[in-house]
Amino acid sequence: MNRYELGIVDTRNIIKTLQDVYNYDFKNYALTFFKRRIEKIIVSNNLKDADGFIRKIATEKDFFEVFLQELCVENTETFRDPSLWRLLKEELFPQIIKGSSSFKIWFPEVSSGDELFSAAIILNRLNLLKDVQLIASSISELDIEKTKKGIFDPKKIEVNDANYKRIFSEGNLTDFYKVDGDKAYWDTSLIENTKFIKQNIIFDDYPKGVKLVLFRNQMIYYNQILQERFIKIIYNSLVPGGHFIIGNNEKIDYWNSEKDFTLVNKDESIYKKKLS
Amino acid sequence: MYKAVVIGGSAGSFQVITKILSSLPKNFPLPVLLSLHRLKHVRSGFVEALSIKSTIPIVEPYDKENIKPGRGYLAPANYHMYIELNKRIALSTEEPVNHYRPSIDLTFETAAQAYRDKLIGIILSGANRDGAYGLKKLKQAGGVAIVQDPNECQVKTMTEASLKLTTVDHIFSTDQIIQYLLKLK
Repeated sequence: MNRYELGIVDTRNIIKTLQDVYNYDFKNYALTFFKRRIEKIIVSNNLKDADGFIRKIATEKDFFEVFLQELCVENTETFRDPSLWRLLKEELFPQIIKGSSSFKIWFPEVSSGDELFSAAIILNRLNLLKDVQLIASSISELDIEKTKKGIFDPKKIEVNDANYKRIFSEGNLTDFYKVDGDKAYWDTSLIENTKFIKQNIIFDDYPKGVKLVLFRNQMIYYNQILQERFIKIIYNSLVPGGHFIIGNNEKIDYWNSEKDFTLVNKDESIYKKKLS
Repeated sequence: MYKAVVIGGSAGSFQVITKILSSLPKNFPLPVLLSLHRLKHVRSGFVEALSIKSTIPIVEPYDKENIKPGRGYLAPANYHMYIELNKRIALSTEEPVNHYRPSIDLTFETAAQAYRDKLIGIILSGANRDGAYGLKKLKQAGGVAIVQDPNECQVKTMTEASLKLTTVDHIFSTDQIIQYLLKLK
Protein backbone atom coordinates (compact mmCIF):
# COMPACT_ATOMS: atom_id res chain seq x y z
CA MET A 1 0.00 0.00 0.00
CA ASN A 2 1.47 3.30 -1.09
CA ARG A 3 1.05 5.84 1.69
CA TYR A 4 2.20 9.37 2.39
CA GLU A 5 1.78 11.09 5.71
CA LEU A 6 1.32 14.79 5.99
CA GLY A 7 2.64 16.60 9.06
CA ILE A 8 0.82 19.37 10.90
CA VAL A 9 3.21 22.07 9.67
CA ASP A 10 2.75 20.91 6.06
CA THR A 11 -1.01 20.98 6.53
CA ARG A 12 -0.84 24.56 7.82
CA ASN A 13 1.31 25.59 4.86
CA ILE A 14 -1.19 24.10 2.46
CA ILE A 15 -4.08 25.90 4.15
CA LYS A 16 -2.13 29.16 3.93
CA THR A 17 -1.41 28.66 0.22
CA LEU A 18 -5.08 28.01 -0.54
CA GLN A 19 -6.00 31.14 1.38
CA ASP A 20 -3.34 33.29 -0.36
CA VAL A 21 -3.90 32.06 -3.90
CA TYR A 22 -7.64 31.32 -4.01
CA ASN A 23 -8.99 33.17 -0.97
CA TYR A 24 -10.57 29.91 0.27
CA ASP A 25 -10.31 29.33 4.01
CA PHE A 26 -10.04 25.63 4.93
CA LYS A 27 -8.78 26.01 8.48
CA ASN A 28 -12.16 25.04 9.90
CA TYR A 29 -12.37 21.73 8.09
CA ALA A 30 -12.03 18.69 10.38
CA LEU A 31 -8.27 18.21 10.61
CA THR A 32 -7.96 14.43 10.24
CA PHE A 33 -10.29 14.42 7.26
CA PHE A 34 -8.55 17.34 5.55
CA LYS A 35 -5.11 15.75 5.98
CA ARG A 36 -6.32 12.41 4.63
CA ARG A 37 -7.82 13.97 1.51
CA ILE A 38 -4.60 15.79 0.70
CA GLU A 39 -2.53 12.67 1.37
CA LYS A 40 -4.80 10.83 -1.06
CA ILE A 41 -4.35 13.48 -3.78
CA ILE A 42 -0.58 13.56 -3.28
CA VAL A 43 -0.38 9.80 -3.82
CA SER A 44 -2.85 9.58 -6.72
CA ASN A 45 -1.14 12.44 -8.59
CA ASN A 46 2.42 11.30 -7.85
CA LEU A 47 3.24 14.62 -6.20
CA LYS A 48 5.73 13.14 -3.72
CA ASP A 49 5.14 15.53 -0.85
CA ALA A 50 3.44 18.67 0.48
CA ASP A 51 5.77 20.95 -1.50
CA GLY A 52 4.84 19.15 -4.71
CA PHE A 53 1.17 19.65 -3.88
CA ILE A 54 1.67 23.34 -3.08
CA ARG A 55 3.59 24.00 -6.31
CA LYS A 56 0.91 22.35 -8.45
CA ILE A 57 -2.13 23.84 -6.78
CA ALA A 58 -0.69 27.36 -6.66
CA THR A 59 -0.24 27.41 -10.43
CA GLU A 60 -3.01 25.21 -11.85
CA LYS A 61 -6.61 26.33 -11.49
CA ASP A 62 -7.82 23.02 -12.97
CA PHE A 63 -6.02 21.14 -10.25
CA PHE A 64 -7.68 23.34 -7.63
CA GLU A 65 -11.03 22.15 -9.04
CA VAL A 66 -9.89 18.53 -8.73
CA PHE A 67 -8.98 19.26 -5.11
CA LEU A 68 -12.40 20.81 -4.40
CA GLN A 69 -14.12 17.74 -5.82
CA GLU A 70 -11.97 15.54 -3.60
CA LEU A 71 -13.15 17.49 -0.55
CA CYS A 72 -16.80 16.91 -1.45
CA VAL A 73 -16.98 13.30 -0.33
CA GLU A 74 -19.20 11.07 -2.45
CA ASN A 75 -22.38 9.92 -0.75
CA THR A 76 -21.96 6.25 0.02
CA GLU A 77 -25.03 5.23 -1.95
CA THR A 78 -28.52 6.22 -3.09
CA PHE A 79 -31.18 5.93 -0.33
CA ARG A 80 -28.57 5.60 2.44
CA ASP A 81 -30.58 4.80 5.60
CA PRO A 82 -33.72 3.45 3.88
CA SER A 83 -35.82 4.02 7.02
CA LEU A 84 -35.45 7.79 6.55
CA TRP A 85 -36.47 7.61 2.88
CA ARG A 86 -39.42 5.37 3.75
CA LEU A 87 -40.54 7.96 6.27
CA LEU A 88 -40.19 10.74 3.70
CA LYS A 89 -42.18 8.73 1.15
CA GLU A 90 -44.94 7.55 3.45
CA GLU A 91 -45.37 10.48 5.83
CA LEU A 92 -43.30 13.61 5.57
CA PHE A 93 -43.39 14.39 1.83
CA PRO A 94 -47.15 13.85 1.43
CA GLN A 95 -47.86 15.85 4.60
CA ILE A 96 -45.66 18.86 3.98
CA ILE A 97 -45.68 19.16 0.19
CA LYS A 98 -49.32 18.61 -0.78
CA GLY A 99 -51.14 21.92 -1.01
CA SER A 100 -47.99 23.93 -0.39
CA SER A 101 -47.01 26.42 -3.05
CA SER A 102 -43.41 26.79 -4.25
CA PHE A 103 -41.99 24.06 -2.06
CA LYS A 104 -38.22 24.49 -2.13
CA ILE A 105 -35.87 21.67 -1.14
CA TRP A 106 -32.19 22.59 -0.82
CA PHE A 107 -29.18 20.28 -0.94
CA PRO A 108 -26.34 22.55 0.26
CA GLU A 109 -23.59 20.15 -0.83
CA VAL A 110 -24.79 17.86 -3.58
CA SER A 111 -21.42 16.06 -4.02
CA SER A 112 -22.11 12.84 -5.96
CA GLY A 113 -25.84 13.57 -6.30
CA ASP A 114 -27.15 10.45 -4.54
CA GLU A 115 -29.28 12.41 -2.07
CA LEU A 116 -30.71 14.61 -4.85
CA PHE A 117 -31.66 11.62 -6.99
CA SER A 118 -33.04 9.72 -3.99
CA ALA A 119 -35.41 12.60 -3.25
CA ALA A 120 -36.30 13.11 -6.93
CA ILE A 121 -37.15 9.42 -7.40
CA ILE A 122 -39.44 9.39 -4.37
CA LEU A 123 -41.12 12.63 -5.47
CA ASN A 124 -41.57 11.17 -8.94
CA ARG A 125 -43.21 8.02 -7.54
CA LEU A 126 -45.48 10.19 -5.38
CA ASN A 127 -46.32 12.35 -8.39
CA LEU A 128 -45.09 15.41 -6.49
CA LEU A 129 -41.95 16.20 -8.45
CA LYS A 130 -43.67 18.96 -10.44
CA ASP A 131 -44.78 20.65 -7.20
CA VAL A 132 -41.28 21.19 -5.82
CA GLN A 133 -38.26 23.28 -6.67
CA LEU A 134 -35.08 21.28 -6.08
CA ILE A 135 -31.98 23.39 -5.46
CA ALA A 136 -28.56 21.75 -5.45
CA SER A 137 -25.38 23.57 -4.59
CA SER A 138 -21.75 22.53 -4.28
CA ILE A 139 -18.34 24.10 -3.84
CA SER A 140 -17.23 21.76 -6.65
CA GLU A 141 -17.96 22.80 -10.24
CA LEU A 142 -16.90 19.30 -11.35
CA ASP A 143 -19.48 17.66 -9.08
CA ILE A 144 -22.20 19.97 -10.39
CA GLU A 145 -21.34 19.06 -13.99
CA LYS A 146 -21.25 15.36 -13.15
CA THR A 147 -24.59 15.49 -11.32
CA LYS A 148 -26.24 17.42 -14.17
CA LYS A 149 -25.24 14.60 -16.52
CA GLY A 150 -26.53 12.02 -14.03
CA ILE A 151 -23.24 10.11 -14.00
CA PHE A 152 -22.72 7.72 -11.10
CA ASP A 153 -20.41 4.89 -10.13
CA PRO A 154 -21.82 1.50 -11.28
CA LYS A 155 -20.20 -0.09 -8.21
CA LYS A 156 -23.05 1.42 -6.21
CA ILE A 157 -25.78 -0.32 -8.22
CA GLU A 158 -26.06 -3.38 -6.00
CA VAL A 159 -26.53 -1.46 -2.74
CA ASN A 160 -28.73 1.17 -4.45
CA ASP A 161 -31.08 -1.52 -5.81
CA ALA A 162 -31.23 -3.27 -2.42
CA ASN A 163 -32.05 0.03 -0.70
CA TYR A 164 -34.81 0.76 -3.22
CA LYS A 165 -36.47 -2.55 -2.38
CA ARG A 166 -36.44 -1.64 1.31
CA ILE A 167 -38.52 1.43 0.47
CA PHE A 168 -40.74 0.45 -2.45
CA SER A 169 -42.68 -2.75 -2.95
CA GLU A 170 -43.45 -1.86 -6.57
CA GLY A 171 -41.26 -1.01 -9.54
CA ASN A 172 -37.49 -1.22 -9.84
CA LEU A 173 -34.70 1.26 -9.51
CA THR A 174 -33.72 0.29 -13.06
CA ASP A 175 -36.72 2.37 -14.17
CA PHE A 176 -34.53 5.39 -13.36
CA TYR A 177 -31.03 4.57 -14.62
CA LYS A 178 -29.17 2.86 -17.42
CA VAL A 179 -25.72 1.37 -17.67
CA ASP A 180 -23.51 2.22 -20.64
CA GLY A 181 -20.11 0.55 -20.67
CA ASP A 182 -18.31 1.29 -17.42
CA LYS A 183 -20.60 4.21 -16.57
CA ALA A 184 -24.07 4.42 -15.12
CA TYR A 185 -26.48 7.28 -15.77
CA TRP A 186 -29.54 8.50 -13.91
CA ASP A 187 -32.54 9.58 -15.93
CA THR A 188 -31.84 13.32 -15.99
CA SER A 189 -35.49 14.20 -16.60
CA LEU A 190 -35.73 13.73 -12.81
CA ILE A 191 -33.65 16.89 -12.36
CA GLU A 192 -34.69 18.90 -15.42
CA ASN A 193 -36.12 21.63 -13.19
CA THR A 194 -33.39 21.49 -10.56
CA LYS A 195 -31.53 24.72 -9.97
CA PHE A 196 -27.76 24.36 -9.53
CA ILE A 197 -25.62 26.86 -7.64
CA LYS A 198 -21.84 26.91 -7.54
CA GLN A 199 -21.01 27.95 -4.00
CA ASN A 200 -17.94 29.72 -2.83
CA ILE A 201 -16.68 28.51 0.48
CA ILE A 202 -18.58 31.01 2.60
CA PHE A 203 -21.94 30.21 0.98
CA ASP A 204 -22.92 33.87 0.74
CA ASP A 205 -25.32 33.10 -2.14
CA TYR A 206 -27.75 30.78 -0.41
CA PRO A 207 -31.43 30.26 -1.32
CA LYS A 208 -34.16 31.85 0.80
CA GLY A 209 -37.69 30.65 1.62
CA VAL A 210 -36.61 27.01 1.72
CA LYS A 211 -39.00 24.48 3.29
CA LEU A 212 -36.68 21.48 3.56
CA VAL A 213 -32.89 21.19 3.75
CA LEU A 214 -31.20 17.82 3.26
CA PHE A 215 -27.62 18.09 4.45
CA ARG A 216 -26.61 14.64 5.66
CA ASN A 217 -23.07 13.60 6.47
CA GLN A 218 -21.38 16.67 5.04
CA MET A 219 -20.97 18.82 8.14
CA ILE A 220 -18.99 15.94 9.68
CA TYR A 221 -16.08 17.23 7.59
CA TYR A 222 -16.14 20.59 9.38
CA ASN A 223 -14.98 21.51 12.84
CA GLN A 224 -17.49 22.89 15.33
CA ILE A 225 -16.87 26.52 14.36
CA LEU A 226 -17.72 25.87 10.72
CA GLN A 227 -20.61 23.56 11.64
CA GLU A 228 -22.21 26.34 13.65
CA ARG A 229 -21.67 28.85 10.84
CA PHE A 230 -23.42 26.52 8.37
CA ILE A 231 -26.30 25.83 10.71
CA LYS A 232 -26.86 29.60 10.95
CA ILE A 233 -26.91 29.86 7.14
CA ILE A 234 -29.41 27.01 6.95
CA TYR A 235 -31.50 28.60 9.70
CA ASN A 236 -31.64 31.80 7.65
CA SER A 237 -32.52 29.95 4.45
CA LEU A 238 -35.43 28.06 6.04
CA VAL A 239 -38.95 29.38 6.48
CA PRO A 240 -40.27 29.16 10.08
CA GLY A 241 -41.50 25.59 10.54
CA GLY A 242 -39.19 24.37 7.76
CA HIS A 243 -37.45 21.00 8.14
CA PHE A 244 -33.73 20.28 8.37
CA ILE A 245 -32.41 16.73 8.05
CA ILE A 246 -28.85 15.73 8.97
CA GLY A 247 -27.02 12.39 9.25
CA ASN A 248 -27.86 9.78 11.88
CA ASN A 249 -24.90 10.48 14.06
CA GLU A 250 -24.90 14.21 13.69
CA LYS A 251 -26.40 16.67 16.11
CA ILE A 252 -27.27 20.35 16.11
CA ASP A 253 -25.45 21.39 19.21
CA TYR A 254 -24.40 24.94 19.99
CA TRP A 255 -25.09 27.14 22.97
CA ASN A 256 -28.56 28.38 21.97
CA SER A 257 -29.53 25.75 19.38
CA GLU A 258 -32.66 24.83 21.32
CA LYS A 259 -33.97 28.32 20.74
CA ASP A 260 -33.63 27.85 16.97
CA PHE A 261 -34.63 24.23 16.28
CA THR A 262 -36.84 21.44 17.65
CA LEU A 263 -35.75 17.84 17.19
CA VAL A 264 -38.89 16.22 15.79
CA ASN A 265 -37.51 12.76 14.95
CA LYS A 266 -34.47 11.55 16.87
CA ASP A 267 -33.97 8.26 14.97
CA GLU A 268 -33.74 10.03 11.62
CA SER A 269 -32.23 13.32 12.86
CA ILE A 270 -35.06 15.54 11.60
CA TYR A 271 -35.21 19.06 13.00
CA LYS A 272 -37.74 21.81 12.54
CA LYS A 273 -37.03 25.53 12.60
CA LYS A 274 -39.02 27.11 15.42
CA LEU A 275 -41.79 29.53 14.54
CA SER A 276 -39.94 32.14 16.69
CA MET B 1 -0.63 7.09 32.84
CA TYR B 2 -2.51 5.68 29.82
CA LYS B 3 -5.28 7.78 28.28
CA ALA B 4 -7.30 5.38 26.11
CA VAL B 5 -7.85 1.79 24.97
CA VAL B 6 -8.69 1.06 21.34
CA ILE B 7 -10.05 -2.36 20.31
CA GLY B 8 -10.51 -3.79 16.82
CA GLY B 9 -12.49 -6.92 16.06
CA SER B 10 -14.28 -8.78 13.30
CA ALA B 11 -15.60 -12.32 12.84
CA GLY B 12 -15.49 -14.23 16.12
CA SER B 13 -14.81 -11.19 18.29
CA PHE B 14 -18.28 -10.50 19.68
CA GLN B 15 -18.08 -12.91 22.65
CA VAL B 16 -14.57 -11.73 23.44
CA ILE B 17 -15.62 -8.06 23.47
CA THR B 18 -18.67 -8.87 25.58
CA LYS B 19 -16.53 -10.73 28.10
CA ILE B 20 -14.04 -7.85 28.31
CA LEU B 21 -16.76 -5.22 28.70
CA SER B 22 -18.54 -7.25 31.39
CA SER B 23 -15.31 -7.60 33.40
CA LEU B 24 -14.29 -3.95 33.60
CA PRO B 25 -14.94 -2.07 36.82
CA LYS B 26 -17.74 0.51 36.66
CA ASN B 27 -15.17 3.25 37.26
CA PHE B 28 -12.73 2.06 34.57
CA PRO B 29 -10.35 5.00 34.23
CA LEU B 30 -10.02 5.16 30.43
CA PRO B 31 -12.28 5.54 27.40
CA VAL B 32 -12.66 2.37 25.30
CA LEU B 33 -12.78 2.98 21.53
CA LEU B 34 -14.38 0.12 19.62
CA SER B 35 -13.93 -0.34 15.90
CA LEU B 36 -15.79 -3.52 14.99
CA HIS B 37 -16.90 -4.78 11.60
CA ARG B 38 -20.66 -4.87 11.33
CA LEU B 39 -23.46 -4.94 8.77
CA LYS B 40 -23.66 -1.64 6.90
CA HIS B 41 -27.41 -1.36 6.62
CA VAL B 42 -28.30 -2.53 10.14
CA ARG B 43 -28.19 0.55 12.29
CA SER B 44 -29.74 -0.61 15.53
CA GLY B 45 -29.25 -3.61 17.78
CA PHE B 46 -25.47 -3.84 18.03
CA VAL B 47 -24.85 -1.21 20.66
CA GLU B 48 -27.82 -2.58 22.61
CA ALA B 49 -26.38 -6.10 22.47
CA LEU B 50 -23.01 -4.88 23.75
CA SER B 51 -24.66 -2.79 26.46
CA ILE B 52 -26.57 -5.69 28.02
CA LYS B 53 -23.50 -7.08 29.76
CA SER B 54 -21.16 -4.12 29.75
CA THR B 55 -20.39 -2.50 33.10
CA ILE B 56 -19.52 0.80 31.42
CA PRO B 57 -21.96 2.74 29.21
CA ILE B 58 -21.51 2.08 25.47
CA VAL B 59 -22.58 4.69 22.92
CA GLU B 60 -22.47 5.13 19.18
CA PRO B 61 -21.02 8.61 19.30
CA TYR B 62 -22.21 11.72 17.57
CA ASP B 63 -19.78 13.49 15.29
CA LYS B 64 -17.44 15.76 17.35
CA GLU B 65 -18.53 14.12 20.62
CA ASN B 66 -16.10 14.67 23.47
CA ILE B 67 -14.35 11.47 24.59
CA LYS B 68 -14.75 10.78 28.30
CA PRO B 69 -13.12 8.19 30.55
CA GLY B 70 -15.15 5.18 31.67
CA ARG B 71 -17.23 5.05 28.49
CA GLY B 72 -17.22 2.86 25.40
CA TYR B 73 -17.47 4.43 21.93
CA LEU B 74 -18.62 2.08 19.18
CA ALA B 75 -18.03 3.10 15.55
CA PRO B 76 -21.57 3.52 14.07
CA ALA B 77 -22.71 1.43 11.10
CA ASN B 78 -21.43 2.64 7.72
CA TYR B 79 -19.14 5.33 9.20
CA HIS B 80 -15.40 5.46 9.81
CA MET B 81 -14.55 6.63 13.32
CA TYR B 82 -11.55 8.95 13.70
CA ILE B 83 -10.04 10.38 16.86
CA GLU B 84 -9.16 14.05 16.45
CA LEU B 85 -6.11 15.60 18.14
CA ASN B 86 -8.46 17.49 20.50
CA LYS B 87 -9.79 14.11 21.75
CA ARG B 88 -13.10 14.30 20.01
CA ILE B 89 -14.72 11.72 17.76
CA ALA B 90 -14.94 12.58 14.06
CA LEU B 91 -17.13 10.45 11.80
CA SER B 92 -16.60 9.98 8.10
CA THR B 93 -18.40 8.39 5.15
CA GLU B 94 -15.27 8.35 2.99
CA GLU B 95 -14.62 5.32 0.80
CA PRO B 96 -14.17 1.95 2.52
CA VAL B 97 -10.57 0.97 3.31
CA ASN B 98 -9.81 -2.64 2.30
CA HIS B 99 -13.58 -3.07 1.83
CA TYR B 100 -14.43 -1.96 5.37
CA ARG B 101 -16.30 1.00 6.78
CA PRO B 102 -15.74 1.33 9.72
CA SER B 103 -12.06 0.66 9.10
CA ILE B 104 -10.12 -0.61 12.12
CA ASP B 105 -6.90 0.73 10.56
CA LEU B 106 -8.26 4.28 10.46
CA THR B 107 -9.50 4.27 14.05
CA PHE B 108 -6.16 2.88 15.30
CA GLU B 109 -4.06 5.23 13.18
CA THR B 110 -5.93 8.38 14.22
CA ALA B 111 -6.10 7.28 17.86
CA ALA B 112 -2.32 6.80 17.74
CA GLN B 113 -1.89 10.35 16.43
CA ALA B 114 -4.09 11.72 19.20
CA TYR B 115 -2.83 9.68 22.17
CA ARG B 116 0.76 8.82 21.09
CA ASP B 117 2.41 6.65 23.79
CA LYS B 118 -0.61 6.90 26.09
CA LEU B 119 -2.63 4.40 24.06
CA ILE B 120 -3.27 0.68 24.40
CA GLY B 121 -4.40 -1.12 21.22
CA ILE B 122 -5.93 -4.59 21.10
CA ILE B 123 -6.60 -6.66 17.96
CA LEU B 124 -9.06 -9.54 18.31
CA SER B 125 -10.38 -12.39 16.19
CA GLY B 126 -11.25 -11.68 12.55
CA ALA B 127 -11.22 -13.08 9.02
CA ASN B 128 -9.34 -10.27 7.24
CA ARG B 129 -6.26 -8.08 7.56
CA ASP B 130 -7.86 -4.87 8.77
CA GLY B 131 -6.17 -3.45 11.87
CA ALA B 132 -2.68 -4.74 11.11
CA TYR B 133 -1.50 -1.45 9.61
CA GLY B 134 -3.23 0.57 12.34
CA LEU B 135 -1.58 -1.49 15.09
CA LYS B 136 1.78 -0.90 13.44
CA LYS B 137 1.20 2.87 13.49
CA LEU B 138 0.13 2.64 17.13
CA LYS B 139 3.30 0.80 18.05
CA GLN B 140 5.44 3.29 16.11
CA ALA B 141 3.83 6.13 18.06
CA GLY B 142 4.89 4.46 21.31
CA GLY B 143 1.61 2.78 22.28
CA VAL B 144 1.19 -0.69 23.76
CA ALA B 145 0.29 -3.28 21.08
CA ILE B 146 -1.69 -6.31 22.21
CA VAL B 147 -2.99 -9.15 20.05
CA GLN B 148 -5.40 -11.87 21.09
CA ASP B 149 -3.65 -15.26 21.03
CA PRO B 150 -4.41 -16.64 17.54
CA ASN B 151 -4.78 -20.14 19.04
CA GLU B 152 -7.75 -18.86 21.00
CA CYS B 153 -9.35 -16.91 18.12
CA GLN B 154 -12.38 -18.31 16.30
CA VAL B 155 -10.78 -16.90 13.14
CA LYS B 156 -7.07 -16.14 13.33
CA THR B 157 -6.41 -14.27 10.03
CA MET B 158 -6.63 -10.81 11.56
CA THR B 159 -4.40 -11.47 14.57
CA GLU B 160 -1.84 -13.31 12.45
CA ALA B 161 -1.74 -10.43 9.96
CA SER B 162 -1.07 -8.03 12.86
CA LEU B 163 1.68 -10.24 14.27
CA LYS B 164 3.33 -10.44 10.87
CA LEU B 165 3.52 -6.65 10.55
CA THR B 166 4.40 -5.66 14.12
CA THR B 167 6.50 -6.92 17.01
CA VAL B 168 3.77 -6.62 19.59
CA ASP B 169 4.11 -6.13 23.34
CA HIS B 170 1.77 -8.93 24.36
CA ILE B 171 0.00 -11.94 22.91
CA PHE B 172 -2.79 -12.55 25.39
CA SER B 173 -5.74 -14.83 25.93
CA THR B 174 -9.07 -13.12 26.66
CA ASP B 175 -8.55 -13.67 30.40
CA GLN B 176 -5.07 -12.18 30.25
CA ILE B 177 -6.41 -9.14 28.37
CA ILE B 178 -8.94 -8.66 31.16
CA GLN B 179 -6.30 -9.06 33.89
CA TYR B 180 -4.11 -6.51 32.09
CA LEU B 181 -6.95 -3.97 31.83
CA LEU B 182 -7.95 -4.46 35.48
CA LYS B 183 -4.46 -3.42 36.59
CA LEU B 184 -4.67 -0.03 34.82
CA LYS B 185 -4.95 2.99 37.05
